[in-house]
Amino acid sequence: MSATILEEKACCTSAGPCSSEAPDWIASARAEAWRLYDSLPNPARTDEAWRFATLSGLLSPQECLHAGPALSKESGEELVRRSRGVERVAGRMVFGNDRLLARSGQELARLGVIWLPLLEAARQHPDLVQSHLLKTPAALGSAKFAALHLSQLKAGTFLYVPRGVEVDLPLETHHWLESGACFPHTLVVAEEGSRVTLMDYFQSVDRNGKGLACGVNDLVLAPGASVTHVSVQEWGRNVTGFHIGSAALSRGARSASLQVHLGGRRMRSESISRLCGEGARSDMLSVSVADGTQEYDQRTLQVHEARNTSSDLLYKNSLDDTARTVFAGLIRVEPGAHQTDAYQKVRNLLLSGEAEANSAPGLEIEADDVRCSHGATTGEVDAAELFYLLSRGIPRQEAYKLIVHGFLEEVLERLARPDLTARLSERVYAKFDAKAGSAR
Amino acid sequence: MRLAKTHHTMSSLSIRNLHVRIGEKEILKGLTLEIPKGEVHAIMGPNGSGKSTLSKVIAGHPDYTVTAGEVFLDGEDILGLEPDVRARKGIFLAFQYPIEIPGVTNANFLRAAVQARLPEGEELEATEFYARMYEKMDLLEMPRAFTGRAVNEGFSGGEKKRNEILQMAMLEPKYAVLDETDSGLDIDALKVVAHGVNSLRGPDLGILIITHYQRLLDYIVPDYVHVMMDGRIVQSGPKELALELEARGYDFIKEGLERAEAVAG
Amino acid sequence: MNDTSTIDIDRSVGDFSYPEQHEFDAGYGLSRKTVEYISQVKGEPDWIRDFRLRALDVFERKPMPTSWASRDLNAIEFEKIRYYLAHGQKAKRSWEEVPEDVKRTFERLGIPEQERKFLAGVEAQFDSEAVYSNIKKAVGDQGVIFVGSTEGLIKHPEIFRKWFGKVIPTGDNKFSALNSAVFSGGSFIYVPPGVKVKHPLQAYFRINAENFGQFERTLIIADEGSEVMYMEGCTAPKFETATLHSAVVELVAMKGAKIQYVTVQNWSANVFNLVTKRAVAHEEAEVKWIDCNIGSRLTMKYPGVVLKGRKARGEVISIALAGDGQHQDTGAKMIHAADETTSNIVSKSISVGEGRASYRGLVHVPKHLKGCRNNTECDALLINSKSRTDTYPAITVRGSGNAVQHEASVSQISAEQIFYMQQRGLTEGQAMSLSVNGFVNDLVRQFPMEYSVELKRLIDMEMEGSVG
Repeated sequence: MSATILEEKACCTSAGPCSSEAPDWIASARAEAWRLYDSLPNPARTDEAWRFATLSGLLSPQECLHAGPALSKESGEELVRRSRGVERVAGRMVFGNDRLLARSGQELARLGVIWLPLLEAARQHPDLVQSHLLKTPAALGSAKFAALHLSQLKAGTFLYVPRGVEVDLPLETHHWLESGACFPHTLVVAEEGSRVTLMDYFQSVDRNGKGLACGVNDLVLAPGASVTHVSVQEWGRNVTGFHIGSAALSRGARSASLQVHLGGRRMRSESISRLCGEGARSDMLSVSVADGTQEYDQRTLQVHEARNTSSDLLYKNSLDDTARTVFAGLIRVEPGAHQTDAYQKVRNLLLSGEAEANSAPGLEIEADDVRCSHGATTGEVDAAELFYLLSRGIPRQEAYKLIVHGFLEEVLERLARPDLTARLSERVYAKFDAKAGSAR
Repeated sequence: MRLAKTHHTMSSLSIRNLHVRIGEKEILKGLTLEIPKGEVHAIMGPNGSGKSTLSKVIAGHPDYTVTAGEVFLDGEDILGLEPDVRARKGIFLAFQYPIEIPGVTNANFLRAAVQARLPEGEELEATEFYARMYEKMDLLEMPRAFTGRAVNEGFSGGEKKRNEILQMAMLEPKYAVLDETDSGLDIDALKVVAHGVNSLRGPDLGILIITHYQRLLDYIVPDYVHVMMDGRIVQSGPKELALELEARGYDFIKEGLERAEAVAG
Repeated sequence: MNDTSTIDIDRSVGDFSYPEQHEFDAGYGLSRKTVEYISQVKGEPDWIRDFRLRALDVFERKPMPTSWASRDLNAIEFEKIRYYLAHGQKAKRSWEEVPEDVKRTFERLGIPEQERKFLAGVEAQFDSEAVYSNIKKAVGDQGVIFVGSTEGLIKHPEIFRKWFGKVIPTGDNKFSALNSAVFSGGSFIYVPPGVKVKHPLQAYFRINAENFGQFERTLIIADEGSEVMYMEGCTAPKFETATLHSAVVELVAMKGAKIQYVTVQNWSANVFNLVTKRAVAHEEAEVKWIDCNIGSRLTMKYPGVVLKGRKARGEVISIALAGDGQHQDTGAKMIHAADETTSNIVSKSISVGEGRASYRGLVHVPKHLKGCRNNTECDALLINSKSRTDTYPAITVRGSGNAVQHEASVSQISAEQIFYMQQRGLTEGQAMSLSVNGFVNDLVRQFPMEYSVELKRLIDMEMEGSVG
């Protein structure tokens, strides 16, 4: 990989780790990660972890991995105005081209909650950040890109919720990409019995914007902690991206993560849930609406390391035009992890004869007292459902839309957070409406 | 044999000499029937006589091929129209087996259907819509929570049939075809559904009830009864015909027909 | 064959043997010379020798498939294998030397006396000449060709050459290349148009030649509208001196033809069983693989059907039993290559002790096809706390009006169920057997009668051993 990293002015001519100011331990971690990135081979289609993937569009040797320039004050303010998720939040951070544009929620500090830009947190709480930063290896094929991410680590949020603290309102991070590359990071550490919700929004300034996005988010849950994490990926239509996520759950912890993929050109997403303590439960959810030539490549791993843990994955894709999706997931039940409940389901809805859905749901079970199942279905809109709607006078296009909405809605409902999902539904359906509008 | 009027008028659902096949098999073999607005007609007939096919063809189901004949709605030929267009013109079919639509709530579904009937650019008034829906739901003794459930998903047989009638009430069709609406209903549910249908009766609605048994007709009393056999209407009469059928079975009509054929031959 | 004391089924009509009398040995290891030797000894035409040599090149070039398959493959010592060994060289032992548990197994399975000796390696040859003439007459009158692969390629080149190596090209995988280089044994069957072969053709007793056919090669062509059922293997354990078995089986079902291919194999625990099986189904043809894998150190086998003609149908029914220390890596491939093709996969596996059963599946419905259907069901049963199971399906769907569905589940035997049966007086082992037999029952019923009886007994025996 002969990539060129152009970072600000200081390092815009030579490839290498990000040189923006950071604590020493971050700087050396960046340097080491850069060496690793440089030494690891590019993925090949013969790798099992990259089966079905289209590699040509993912990265090309000429790709320029430079961070875009700092935004002007006016455009920064404009982006802050455009950064709207749910109505009421406990705190919000906005980044543009990997630079902090705005933040709110400082009053959370009164509860002992740490809600800081990542580098600031690394300065103020070095031990805390260091002990949790990138501790779950990217085991699903993108180790090289996780290394790239770390080598360019600069932007993102650190959220620490102390023992027993429950944050009712959601927190929000908005990442905007104007040009070049960005490397957003999210690290959530939830102490014993705490509860928090974080929403990450990823958008390009321009709907057809291009560039590279290579983000990581890690959730670390102490016993009995509860974390809900939602990421809404609406990068511009020419952005290539990686999204590497994990959740590590201790005894009795519960995590629910939902990914919504609407934007980008080619997106590779990897998610790992590690159920390390008894009674832990992880819900992994995803909604993807792929059209045009979009390609979403999702890899997942549910690892049951302790007894009496449960995980439940539901991924749904709707595919139109010549879009492609890949789902390759694995449930792994380690020896001795008895009384495991693990489920995995992927459903693909083909709206066009040219779209292609690939599914590879996998199981590796090394304990006998388990309840595990997985399923994958691929099909079209059901003819009987369609006729029923038509017979009520609903026009064909509208009927399709309703059925697809219903298909995806099931995932959003599984989050059991109507306060969050109502707005998500709107975003999801706006994509259909925009498409329907342009078709007319 | 006494047939209903066979010329079509400007206010009737008129079916003339309808021939329909599914795949290679002919199911309707020259069926003629007219349902004037304001009347309730019942079609009875043994299994396999083509009753359900008739209902699907009126609604425009794509699996059936019409090889001959006409269907006029208030004087307009509707056979070439898409099912949703027919529905907006006033055809309603209460399905024998209502379809489950996961993830789509009843409220959203009905809103979409009602919205589709409004003129271009006109938006549905939400409060009015809900008020009207609740009123109809009360009539059918349906709990409020029902609106948030997905269409027919996990519904009991009775709930599904009530839901069909609710939709009929909300969509205000000109002609409604009730396909075996009594099947799968216990007597209490049957009364509720019949009450709902009866409350919709009036000069602006023509109803065609398709049923296997007389029972439903005790509660929704028809103006005319037609007997269907082997893809045709073979006998029509006043509501008492249903009672006679119930008492004597379909065989007496069959025998009558055979005698008539023997005479003709 | 008159002594079928415990199994009261006459399966003799389909039994068959070929008189092959080579007393040659290619020695250990694999080289150009080995391949040339095999070809020369068998008196093959040049085109086959060239085919073998090209295959050897491919074999040597291809890496081990360990990027996705078990690394245990690296334990195969290719240089220590004898690639061609005629029956004269077969290791012999006396009946007294046969271990007691093996004798008991034969007893329990009801294997006839003479067969026991053969299976145990006491006798090198099982005489079934009389049977041979039966079957020869029965099918010969209908114009069916049923011969060994060598005889097939020499005597019927016009049919053989057209299809040989076409369904499974040499380079399909490393082991199909190996087989293509050194194959011997196996069957060649041609069923003329419209002929429905009444009796199952059976390879079971065609084991007098070439040491069970370590690298056997089978080619079956069912011409338009014909029907044939082929059976290979038996439930009795095979006591092998060779550690590598690598067969290639190619089936061609022409328009409207039906082929059923039934395999029941029970390998000894030192064997690598790496088999490539694939069929092509033309318009409205049906191919059904019925497959039961028991034993071996590692079995890798994924019977496939290329659904090449409109409305073709493919099916794989498979049972795998992975005993302690064994790895059954089995599955199915369905390649939909025409409109309105349907495929069905049902796989059930049982893992006992530290046994591991893996399902690997491929369902491919590429662009522009219409109305294709696939349904896949995989169920795994884990018997002991260290048993392992994996499921690795890969599904690609495009086109319109296609519906593909995969479902898999993993379960263990219900303790309540076992307790219930024990309370009624069954031993734990008996209760386990009943449960496991119940688990596979719907599939076992699809096997020919005599196999299903033997399978049940075999499961009984495995389960009794698993309870401790």
